[in-house]
Order: sequence, then structure tokens, then C-alpha cells
Amino acid sequence: MLLPLLPAATLLLAPACAVFSDEAWNVDYHFALLGAPKEETSFFHRPNPSSKASLIYTLSEEHALGAVNPRDGSLVWRQLLASGGDSHNTSFLRAGEGQDVVISGIGSEVAAWSAADGRLVWNVHTDGPLEDVEILELSDGKETVGAKDAVALSGGEHPMVQRIDGASGAVKWQYSIDGSDAPYQLSASSTEVFAILIHKTILGYVKLRVVALDPVTGLKTDEYMLSSENELATADNIISVGANSASPIIAWTDAAHTTLKVNVVGTKSISSFSIEKHDENAIERVKLHAPYHINSLAHFLVHYETATSHWAEVYHIDLKNSKVEKAYSLPRVAGRGAFSTSTADANVYFTRVTRDELSTVSSASHGLLGRWSLSSFGVAGGVGEVIEPVHAVSEVSVKGDTVSAIRTTVLLSTGDWVLLRDGKAIWTRPEMLASTVAVTFAMPADMVTLAQQLEVEAHGNPVAAYIHRVQRHITDLQKLPSFLVLMPKKIVQGFLGTSADDAAGSDIFGFRQIIACATRSGRLVALDAGHPDRTLWNRDVTDLKPGQSWRPSLSSTKDGVIQVSSVAGTGVDYNATDGQQLAGDLPVIPDEPDLSTSRAVRYTMRGNSLEATYDWSPSWTFTPTHGERILNLVPRPVDDPVASIGKVLGDRRVLYKYLDSNIALLATAHDASSKANFYVLNTISGAILYSNTHPNIDLTAPIPTIMSENWFAYSFTSEASPDTTKGHHLVIGELFESLLPDHRGAMGASSNYSVLHTPASDPFTLTQTYQLPEPISRLAVTRTRQGITSRQLLAVLPASNALVGIPYGVVDPRRPVGRDATKDEQAEGLMRYAPVLELDPKWYLNHQREVVGIKEVVTAPALIESTSLVFAYGLDVFGTRLSPSFSFDVLGRDFNKFQMLATVAALAVATFVVTPLVMRKQVDQRWRFL
Amino acid sequence: MLVLKSLAVLAGTSLASAANLTVSIPSSPPLLPNPSSLAPSTHAVLIGPPGVQYEAPIRRDNTFTFPDLAEASYLLTVHSRDYFFPPLRVDVTKAADGTQQETVQAWQTFRGNEWSNKGPFYGSSNGELKIQIQPSSQKNFYQDRGGFNIIDFVKSPMILMALVSVAFIFGMPYIMDNMDPEMKEEFDDMQKKGPLSGSSGAAAQLRNFDIAGWLAGKGSTTEQGAGDTSKKR
Repeated sequence: MLLPLLPAATLLLAPACAVFSDEAWNVDYHFALLGAPKEETSFFHRPNPSSKASLIYTLSEEHALGAVNPRDGSLVWRQLLASGGDSHNTSFLRAGEGQDVVISGIGSEVAAWSAADGRLVWNVHTDGPLEDVEILELSDGKETVGAKDAVALSGGEHPMVQRIDGASGAVKWQYSIDGSDAPYQLSASSTEVFAILIHKTILGYVKLRVVALDPVTGLKTDEYMLSSENELATADNIISVGANSASPIIAWTDAAHTTLKVNVVGTKSISSFSIEKHDENAIERVKLHAPYHINSLAHFLVHYETATSHWAEVYHIDLKNSKVEKAYSLPRVAGRGAFSTSTADANVYFTRVTRDELSTVSSASHGLLGRWSLSSFGVAGGVGEVIEPVHAVSEVSVKGDTVSAIRTTVLLSTGDWVLLRDGKAIWTRPEMLASTVAVTFAMPADMVTLAQQLEVEAHGNPVAAYIHRVQRHITDLQKLPSFLVLMPKKIVQGFLGTSADDAAGSDIFGFRQIIACATRSGRLVALDAGHPDRTLWNRDVTDLKPGQSWRPSLSSTKDGVIQVSSVAGTGVDYNATDGQQLAGDLPVIPDEPDLSTSRAVRYTMRGNSLEATYDWSPSWTFTPTHGERILNLVPRPVDDPVASIGKVLGDRRVLYKYLDSNIALLATAHDASSKANFYVLNTISGAILYSNTHPNIDLTAPIPTIMSENWFAYSFTSEASPDTTKGHHLVIGELFESLLPDHRGAMGASSNYSVLHTPASDPFTLTQTYQLPEPISRLAVTRTRQGITSRQLLAVLPASNALVGIPYGVVDPRRPVGRDATKDEQAEGLMRYAPVLELDPKWYLNHQREVVGIKEVVTAPALIESTSLVFAYGLDVFGTRLSPSFSFDVLGRDFNKFQMLATVAALAVATFVVTPLVMRKQVDQRWRFL
Repeated sequence: MLVLKSLAVLAGTSLASAANLTVSIPSSPPLLPNPSSLAPSTHAVLIGPPGVQYEAPIRRDNTFTFPDLAEASYLLTVHSRDYFFPPLRVDVTKAADGTQQETVQAWQTFRGNEWSNKGPFYGSSNGELKIQIQPSSQKNFYQDRGGFNIIDFVKSPMILMALVSVAFIFGMPYIMDNMDPEMKEEFDDMQKKGPLSGSSGAAAQLRNFDIAGWLAGKGSTTEQGAGDTSKKR
């Protein structure tokens, strides 16, 4: 009887878990993010000098370099730059006027990228870390045919200035800076290159040393020290060193922000201005905005910020005598503000973004050229939060005395990046999600109420439960009219297949769970898995100081509630639907041992060993051998339901799984011999159930591990020797009580046992290794409500920027080796073992998209058994729904309603046509016999 | 992080070695007629001994360049969004003639095979090697559902059988009418005698099969029961 099933089973296996073309782009969602853009590395630029269309370029805080289309906010291209991992977190992005490349500088690498398509043009490594990169805009004309050259200032042991050829990336000249002064910044005028160094005086103050270089030869033409007296305590007080303008300037203030000093680079005179106080709050920040073009007017704007308000002053530089004069000031406005500088020919325009207004002035006079009121930025904030602009970049076109078009991108305090066109929000990019550090799924509260009410009815006395139920139905009746009104629409939509499953209203399948993301900046952002394109709410939950980091852990303790806890130990609950903080219910992790939970084995990493305690006394310790270090420990998930305790074989016999909720996979590395060891531990007794050693491992490559049900998996990169293979491997192991079918091993007869008291019965482990075409950086597994659905192994492929779902049947360690599968094995779906596992592109959950920088994948069960929700984060955010055993409990998109109705109709018609014929025939026959 | 490591190696080896590798992707119709259409995320990775790894993004001229390679045996993989590329083995060794130059060699390699199993030779050069690599196949991400197709539907054997029987039902009386009167009589006689027709024929039995009686174990009385039911009608 099984024989006819065989082809069916093999057919089913092949397309299992593939991405269907009608589901792609519909059930999955993806935000291709860059991270919070930095003010100094964001600008509008024309990738093709001959066309007027410009793109927004940015190099973000996540070191992602990318181009964004200002029309719809879509990403044109993106490159993730390696920062070198040091704390020296400076990065530069420059684009020369009329150039088709953008030049980035990060770590010790200067690279030029094709502005239109993001391909590398050239790259140069400097000896020390980069301090500044500028583009040389020479005014003499003969040097600037073709690509413009770049100048780089590098620090380290041998600080130097290098001029890099814009076309080839060859170093034209380099100038080594002598002395112990720290290089600070570069500044280029049309005739000279200035290297600005910081000189520490004996008294602890800093002074600015300026070295002027000839841009053609790289020889020093001049050198002098600026007499900044004693007001410059640290380099932090230097506001700005202008570059590439007609007259570059250096500006600094004293520590108390009472005077502003400006020096035109190349001269020694310093202009001093006293800063007026506008309100009782002290000035917290002073920023300088100057045009970045060599032909622009030498005007600049100084932006003052206090805790509650901001204002600005515009200064003009007289090029003939290098005198700086204050031209006009912009009034004080409450809240934070952002200024941006844009140029058109020689004119300079300043655009100001405040909480509720966008305005543009010319640098020459304070008359408003354009003014738009902003009703909202179109982003979700916290309850009662005032959304404020952080920084802005603008592109202005002016006709006569008014602004004819203005496009401004603003980074908001919520972390969203918004484009305003003529004062209206055109698109928003949720860049705060790029720094997501923790994620949890939560059921929305309205879903939960029904479950709670049912619970009340289940546990109350029958009469009360009955009354409760009648009352519930009466309240439900109130929804009947609206339900009836919507009914025809629903039927039509369902018939046409346009409603999808995300139609407003209830979510009976549990697909619309709330995803709460904690970001590095201390915000909590909630997304709806059913409508991921809009943020539900976004609120500040911590009071982080700049540079401070937190390591939150998120959990959904009960439905409708999101609990945030940080290392500090207290958890705060938030309503999942609207983000309201739930007061009065702040569970605090007890400092004292809690008697009710103390009878559990707890284990922690202490130093380089694993220690477990039972009843608050040491229970067992796992110490790796000398020279071995613990890489990671993955326990079986706490909530890991398993529906079947055995695996049914093709001949209807059963292999019993070794199911123990207290097992964990521990990976250790031995650096000296480049070996990796993997142990499966029983976390109650500390017994090692299984161990394996792999030699010749690249321990610097990622070694992800996963444990679920009765199996574990890990991946590593191995080094070649002539008779072995080189590359990336995936090992999968499965634990059984016994390898004999229908046999439960040593513990078979006993109904109760304790690993602490009875000698442990070791599981029988089957393992298999597969070679992969590319490395895996993270492993995860799908989760469903009851664990009936087969599991799917999720692997992050950083090289292909993909998230792949590997069906378990493909990597099953029971695949027969060296022979073809028998009929029974084929019935189970086992194929002959092949050492290479080619990752089928159909398994790519992200399909055509590129999911960059994924660090973690979380899964959650939906309300229906067949489906698991997947959410991946890191830099990009990607989510989808998976049905590893197909959507057996819900009609999917493959269900053709038209076909079904057409079949029914055809049958009805056929019946009507055939009935008289059959009647006539029967009557005829009757007559014939009588 | 990986690049940092490679940088450290770069710094260490830049003085001693000058082994460079340039991999270019030529136009290879029909699979990839225009290599400039490759996504900017296309990159090549050279994996050497543990800790040594070089990564190169695609350049404007459809090449990947690896400057200053240390002496080792490398696995070269090209990762692209839309295409698969074959893996290569790249060996950087000291030149046989004892000069400062190093020899760079490249072969195709096969996953799941021992490292010494080399495939077609891609080239060898002192100091600087330029090789070309072509995609092996395009990635196909989507599984199409077996949608409804009227021709496939008609082609299925069940439907064909149904159509033939429908043709018989409607066609038979027409043929009978057009038949020779003698032949028609002959045919009627044949049908009466035939095992399938008549009240005791197999067809009638099958049509009037008394399933309840059969299930009750009255196998022998089937015929009678069948007769009864036909009379009742």
C-alpha cells in the first residue's frame, strides 16, 4: 500500500520549504537599512554629472555606505565598510563637484566608489588610521580634467599627508609630518593644502599647528602655530575646520562657550566674538555650517544649542583682508533645530528645520526665501513625545527671490530618516532598526482578551461560567451590524483574493504579532508583523548618555505585555499595542534566593568554566582542558514542544528520540592546535552525552551552534590538507534512546527516573557532515505551537547576504551512506547521502533581496500549527512566515477559488444536462423489457 | 573584522611578497552577456590558512584584485546575488628559480573532494596572475506552483476517459440510427446475449447491487434481491 505513496513522498520533498513566487514579496518584508546617517557624511550628489537627478549619499554610524533615491527612499546601492573594529570611530565621505565617484575613508582605507552603481573604483591603504580625507579642488583648471584627486591625512606612528590620484588610486606624493603632534584635520583651499595638528603644551592646553603644503609637489610651504592662548583645553572644543571653501576656517570656543574664535586658515589673525546668552540655560553645543564648494561665497553659520532652545548667527568673511564679520542672526526657537547648507552657483542658502517649521534664508540677507509649516513628520513616536530634528541635509533650487523646490532629509530624534519636499514628508526610513540589539514577539492585547475570557470560563464554576459566556456573546452581538455591513465586501475580497490575510480586524491565525525591538540608542520600537511598513510606536525607554551602551533583554512575560530588562536587573513592562508603560507592576528580580525556585539547577559561565549549582550549592563544574576556551553554550530552548516521542520509519516501526529538556551544546576551541570541540551536556548532572573534536579548524571564522528537539547542529570552516577537503561544513547530530527500532533502550521500562540518582543512559548519536559552498554565521530553528510541524533549520549566509531555510530532511543524519535508499527509507523521505549540500536558491527566504548584516534570527509560533514567524535583524530587518510542512491547516494562496467554483458550476451544469438524458434512457429500457 | 586580519597580514607580507591576483568576469553569453549588470555586492573571497582571509568587492571594470598575497593555498569563491561561480584553488608559492618573485597558480576545485584533487588549470604566473572566471549557473529563487492549465487538465487520463465515454453516450444512438437495419438487428441480438446487458447481465447487476444485503452476508441472494429491486421499479 505504501508503494504508490513513494513517488508522492519524493515529489513532496523536493519543493518543500521553497519560496513560492506568489508568496514572495507578499508574506515577507524587508527594510534595507543603512543605520543612522551622520551629518558630516550625508549629502545630495549627482551620480552622473550630465544629468540633473541627484541621489542622497551617506556613510552611516553602522559603517554602511549607500545611495538613497530621494524620490521614494529606496536604496540604490550599499556597501558595508569594515571599520577595522577599533574605537577610532571616524569615517569620511566626500564627493567632488561634477564627479561620478564618491570617496570614503574609514579605518585605514581610502576607497573610491562609482556613484551610480556602487562599484569599487580604487582603494588605498594607509599605514596609520585615517584622520581626514578631502578632495582637492584646484582652481587652476589644468589639474582637474577628469577625476579629482583626494588628499588623506593619516595618524599612527608615522603621520603623513598623501595625495591620491583620482583616476587610478596611485599615491602622487606623500609628506611625512614630523614631531609628536597628533594630526587632526585637513583643509584645502584652491591653492594650498593645510594639515592641522594638535600640539599639547606643557600646561595641558592644546594649540593648533598648521602646516601648509603645495598641492602639486607636496612640499611644505609654510608652518605656524595659532596662538589660541589658554582657552582651548581639549580638541573637543574645536567646532569646525572648514575645507574646500574659498576660505577655510578654524573655529573654536572656550569650555564655557562664552567666546567664539574664528581663524581663516592661512592667516594668523583670530577674530573673537562673544556669545550672547539667550536664555537661562547654558549653551550645550555649538555647530558650524559652511558651504563645501570652492566657488561659493565665504559665508558660514554658527548654530548654538541649549537644552531647551536654539538659535544661529551668520558670518561673512571678507576675502581680501580675511576679516570675519557677523552679518545677521536667526531668532531663538524652542526645542532643537537642524541647519543645513546648500549652494547654487556661488549663492549659499541655509535651511532651518525646527519642530514645526521649515524655512530657508540666503546667506547674504536674513529675508525668508521660503517657509513651510510642518504638521508632523509622519513617524510614530512615544506617548506625548515631541519629535525633534537632529540634523538635516538639503537641496534647494531658487528662482528669483523664492525657493521653487526644496528637498530636505532630516534625521529625527526617533531615529527615523525623513525626506521633506516643500514641507511635506514624502518618505521615512526606520534607520533606528539598524541598531536593534534585542527583539521579542508579543501577542497583541485584543487577541489576548478572548483567550483570557475563555480561561475564566474554563476555571470558574459551571453556572458562573455559563453566565459569563452568555454575557460575552451579548457583547459580541454589538459587533454584528458592522460585521454584516462588511460581510459582502469580505466575500468579494475573499473571492477575488485581494483581501490577503492582513485585512483589518481580527487575526485568527496569529500572523499579526507585535515585534518589539530594543535599539542601541535606548529606544523600544514596535512593529506589526502583519503590517510591517508602519511602526506601531517608538519610545525612549532608557536615559542613556552619549556613548553609553545597554544590553537589554526583551521578553513577553504574558500576552500583550513586553518586558524590558537590562543588566541592572529590573524589568519594566509595556503595553504591546500602544507602548504605554504599565505602572505598578514592576517585577524586581530577587536578590535573596527565592525558595520556590531554588530547587533548580542553575549554571553560569565563570571565567573559562561552566559552574552549576543545585540548592545553592555547587553541583558540577565543566572546566575545559588547558589551552581550551569556551566559545558558546546553546541549551535546548525552554519552550520547545515536541509532538512525537519517536520517528516513524517506513515500515511503521519507531525509533525513539532522546528527549531531555536539560541538554545543551557547548563549543570550545583549542587555539594552539586549532581544534574545535563540541560537547552535548546534561545540564542537571553535568554528564557529557556526546563529544566530538574537529582538527584543522579556522577558529577566527564564525562557529554557530543550535540545539533543538533531539538534535543539534553546528558549522565551521576547515583548513585543507592534501587528502581532506577545505571549506565550510555543517554537522548535524541526532540523539536516540536506541538505534534499534521499537526499542526504548535501558530506560525503556521505567516510568520515572532522575539523572542525579540513576546511572545515566547515554543516548545513541548519529551525526553527519555536509560541505557547504559558503560560511554560516548564525543558526536558528523554526518554532510552531505544538511541535507537530517538522522543523526547519535557518542559517544566515553572510557571504550571499541571505537567510536560508534548510529542510531537516535534507540534512537528516540518517541518510544512507554509500548505497541507495531502500523503499522504506524512501517512504520516510531519506535520500542517499551526498557530502556536498548545495544550498538551493529556492530555500533563500529573502529570495532576490539582499539581507545584509544579519546578526540574530528569532522565531515565534503563530496561532496555527503549520506556521512559524521569522524575524531577522542586525543591520537589515527581515521577516517572513514559514510553513515547513506546508500550510496544512489554512488555505494558502495555492488554493484557487475560481477553479473550485468553476468545477462546482461545471458539475451542476453537467448534472442538469445529463439528468433528462438518463431519465429518457431508463424509461426506454423499462419499455424494452416489459 | 576579517579585513582587519587580512590587513595585519598585508602589513606583514607587503615587503616580502609581491604576489597579485586579478580575477575578471568576462562577458559570457547567454548566461551573463553583460557582467556590468552584476550587483555591486558581488565580491570574491580568498580563504587561506586559519586567520588569513582576503575580500575584494567588484570593481567598475568587472574585476577583483587581491594585492600582496601571502604564501599559502587559498580557496577562491565568488559570491554574487544572481549567479553561481565555480570555486577555485589558488596557490601562492616561492618561485622555483629562487628569485624574489612568487608563483601564483589557479585551478578549479571541487567541493566535497580532497584538496589535492584539482580540476582544469586556470593559469600560472610569476608575481601577477590574471584569470577569468565565468558563472556556472543563474540562481533561480522561485518555486512556481502548478497552476491551473486547461490543456494539462484536458490531457489528464481521467478527463480523456470521461470524454471518450461522453462521446460514446452521445455518438452511439447516432451511429445506431445510421446503421443498416440488418446489422442493427444483429447488433441488438448480440447486445441481448452479451454478458453485460439484460436484467441478469453484469452491468445490471452492478447497477442494482444491493450493498446492504451484501454486507449482511446475503451473498447468494444477491441475484434475487437485484431482481426484486428491478421489479419494484
